[in-house]
Amino acid sequence: MSHEVLEFDVVSASLTEKAKTDGAELIWDRQQAMKAKCGFGDKGLCCRICAMGPCRISPVEGKGAQRGLCGATADVIVSRNFARMVAAGTSAHSDHAREIATVMHMSNKDGNYKVKDVGKLLNLAKEWGVETEGRENDDIAHEVAEIALNEFGKPFGTQRFITRAPEPRQKLWKEKNFEPRAIDREVVTLMHSTHIGCTGDADSMLEMSMRTSLADGWGGSMIGTELSDIMFGTPTARGTEANLGVIEENMVNILLHGHNPSFSEMVVLAAEEPEMIAMAKEVGADGINLVGMCCTGNEVTMRHGVKIAGNFYQQELAVLTGAMEAVIVDVQCIFPALARLSDCYHTKFITTSPKAKITGSTYIEFSEEHALESTKTIVREAIMNYANRDRSKVLIPQAKSKALVGYSVETVIQHLDKVVNSHTDVFNTVKPLSDVIWAGVLRGAAGIVGCNNPQVKHDKSHVTIMKELIKNDVIVVTTGCAAQAAAKAGLMTMEAKELCGRGLKEVCERVGIPPVLHMGSCVDISRILDIVGRVAIERGLDNSDLPVVGVAPEWMSEKAVAIGTYVVTSGIDTYLGVTPQVLGSEHFTDMLTNTIEEKVGARFTFEEDPVVCAQLILDRMEEKRDRLGI
Amino acid sequence: MSLFDLIYAGSNAAWGLAEQTVADAIQQKGKDQKVAFPSTAYSLPVIYSATGMKINTLGDLETALGVAKSLIVEEEDLGKALNAGLSTAVSAEIIESVKYALQEDPYEDEPGIGFVPDPVIRSLGVPLVTGDIPGIAVLLGESESPEELAAIVKDYQSKGLLTFLVGKTIDQAMEQDVKLGLEMRVIPIGYDVTSVIHVVSVAVRAALIFGALKPGDLAGLLEYTKQRVPAFVNTFGPLNEVVVSAGAGAIALGFPVIADIDVPEVPGALLTQKDRSLTVKTSLETREIKIKVKEIDIPVAFAAAFEGERIRKDA
Repeated sequence: MSHEVLEFDVVSASLTEKAKTDGAELIWDRQQAMKAKCGFGDKGLCCRICAMGPCRISPVEGKGAQRGLCGATADVIVSRNFARMVAAGTSAHSDHAREIATVMHMSNKDGNYKVKDVGKLLNLAKEWGVETEGRENDDIAHEVAEIALNEFGKPFGTQRFITRAPEPRQKLWKEKNFEPRAIDREVVTLMHSTHIGCTGDADSMLEMSMRTSLADGWGGSMIGTELSDIMFGTPTARGTEANLGVIEENMVNILLHGHNPSFSEMVVLAAEEPEMIAMAKEVGADGINLVGMCCTGNEVTMRHGVKIAGNFYQQELAVLTGAMEAVIVDVQCIFPALARLSDCYHTKFITTSPKAKITGSTYIEFSEEHALESTKTIVREAIMNYANRDRSKVLIPQAKSKALVGYSVETVIQHLDKVVNSHTDVFNTVKPLSDVIWAGVLRGAAGIVGCNNPQVKHDKSHVTIMKELIKNDVIVVTTGCAAQAAAKAGLMTMEAKELCGRGLKEVCERVGIPPVLHMGSCVDISRILDIVGRVAIERGLDNSDLPVVGVAPEWMSEKAVAIGTYVVTSGIDTYLGVTPQVLGSEHFTDMLTNTIEEKVGARFTFEEDPVVCAQLILDRMEEKRDRLGI
Repeated sequence: MSLFDLIYAGSNAAWGLAEQTVADAIQQKGKDQKVAFPSTAYSLPVIYSATGMKINTLGDLETALGVAKSLIVEEEDLGKALNAGLSTAVSAEIIESVKYALQEDPYEDEPGIGFVPDPVIRSLGVPLVTGDIPGIAVLLGESESPEELAAIVKDYQSKGLLTFLVGKTIDQAMEQDVKLGLEMRVIPIGYDVTSVIHVVSVAVRAALIFGALKPGDLAGLLEYTKQRVPAFVNTFGPLNEVVVSAGAGAIALGFPVIADIDVPEVPGALLTQKDRSLTVKTSLETREIKIKVKEIDIPVAFAAAFEGERIRKDA
């Protein structure tokens, strides 16, 4: 076990010691077993899309194999591998959204799934031209859901939500043929083009990847967020706590891990049922302590204030505490390793989705038709397991931080209204935000998102970049595991304003917000697109004109690749703290980090040192400000 | 030009002017020439309250110039920009103090009263604390419409606010038959933009006298003025960079600025209100001044501001 990687994280230190005693294997053990990474894969130069291969291209130009058996060059192979990451990321977000649309289509005022935010439903119905006059909410919801479901496979037209982008951006997408059509179609087309003997041009491959990524950000993810809000309520500001210290010694601890709120919302309901709480008391516990992890954790904390046990890399650590009765999961970013790890403890590792079965887990299929009953069965399993806890093996790190969460676009605007003078301005706009950026009180805004990755010190890049930016009057909005890193680091408190520059501090005080705003899960990055777009529209500009950036300091998943790509394609500069597997092609790397700007007004920057990265971001913001003359 | 650049330009210009003014005065009168405002125990109040430093001679003003200069750090940062605003305030006080060093009463020949003596501030203390004076309005510049300006002044007056006039607003108010004077709660200060410092001086002395703040506790001073002195600024007409940087000084003290032209707006601090019939409402809301008014339907204005009014035979 290399302890070096954990230097930044004091919480994990005690637990990794415990892992040794308990004979539990962790991600860092596996990383060590992996030894040095394959240089070909690391540079994106390995291709195994057909059975003539695997082929690998020499990373040195003019030396060794320069082409695969089919003749694909390094440029082509790198671009294809990249494209497939985008396709996979897009598919994950989109399938997530499809499930939400599906339960919306089942919504019934007497059923488990009900429309919670009628206002948001009616707004979307209006946007999509659905008749609302004199109709039942459920009827409207069903029609809206059907339209949403058609977004995945409609034969004609383009994604509906792209019309939310600023006009110049829409025009650019049209001109460049970037307008995403049906979501599934874009994924399929991209997979098609990466097949052997199809696209053999890196430039074209990247453009197709960009179009596909837009089908995620302005398609799948946006549908996921919008419909989740309609079904489960638009998040509002609320307090919670974060880090492993939220696990309770004398309660039935249930870790909710995964992504989809159509599942987690029902688990929250089930865990609140009086009969479940009574049952927990019967087995000798004080009650049920539901804690969240990763994006499902974000979804339930945004809407219910459910405490956050941790982010991606802490999923094993939560089990290591020995106090976790059940880990219940649905889809995405769930270590299969949890099955083996759970065997070291009494923990039940329960998989629920036919899309993500894991060998060695207890599989209890979640049925949307009997959603609440189904989750009650799962919660019961957890409660029954309380008696099996081996108290000699329990170690709960006493670390937790308070956090304010729930900053949907609607909630942010509601807060901005506090500083609107009723005689000079109208309410319910982002103008106050745009004003402080224009005046220079805030230098810009950064969306910090993404995963954890054992290639960098956990949470260190997230927290370091955030601190550097807020210190320099850049407001930070965040989602996903980056948001949870911020919550654990105490950056989502009102007190965190003391870490800010004078401008951001004033804004926090006047608006009544922490300097780092939790905007939700990874599909909720669509909220960030929404708010940036609103500021651009407010000023009659394009996204690419604004001093705004996206950052993924510790990204790891293909979803992150899709996200980064749609953010850049939306005109927002994106900084990656982990270098993607593209360096094998100088041309492709140059496109991502340089020439892509000619096409969409934004580019990628790869920088693994968080302090340097923050400085590059600040410089770029000043450059954009200078161009605007502000 | 960005807002911060404009502020820095204004602060530098004000400082340059102050430096020149001091140099000229020293050449004329020597370094030992006494510098003091009339009837005050607080030396040069802005400099004294911010630094704890008492200025006695023209020579001392050179040190004050150094303080002003050190406050101008041209970085793209709100804190620095607000400090530059304070620098302009210090420069303005230096310039105004030189006027008093060179002349017994430099405001003798104009309607403006210039420096406001301590006894006046003490007399204002009680009504300020009780809320009888719910706010302090500083009107600056030249209005496109003198009628509207007069209406604004009268509106403040009827609401019991204390209004200070700087620049052409003085003449415009007089032409419109607005009655001026301390008892009327409408006080002309001076024509030069630097004379606005005499209003700032009122606010900082209020902090020293009523807030019992220690001279030199700048952070405490700014907190006091922001929380306890319900002042705000209305500007009329185009703003030059010195006025903008002076505005930054007001904002540093917690006083919002409401302009009647387009400015880079900062919610709660720097606003544009082009409709001058809404200037009063906008200003009061921004400074969170709530006035409990009992409307009495009578044919003449009714407010505490008219308490000291004298009725003459020929009026």
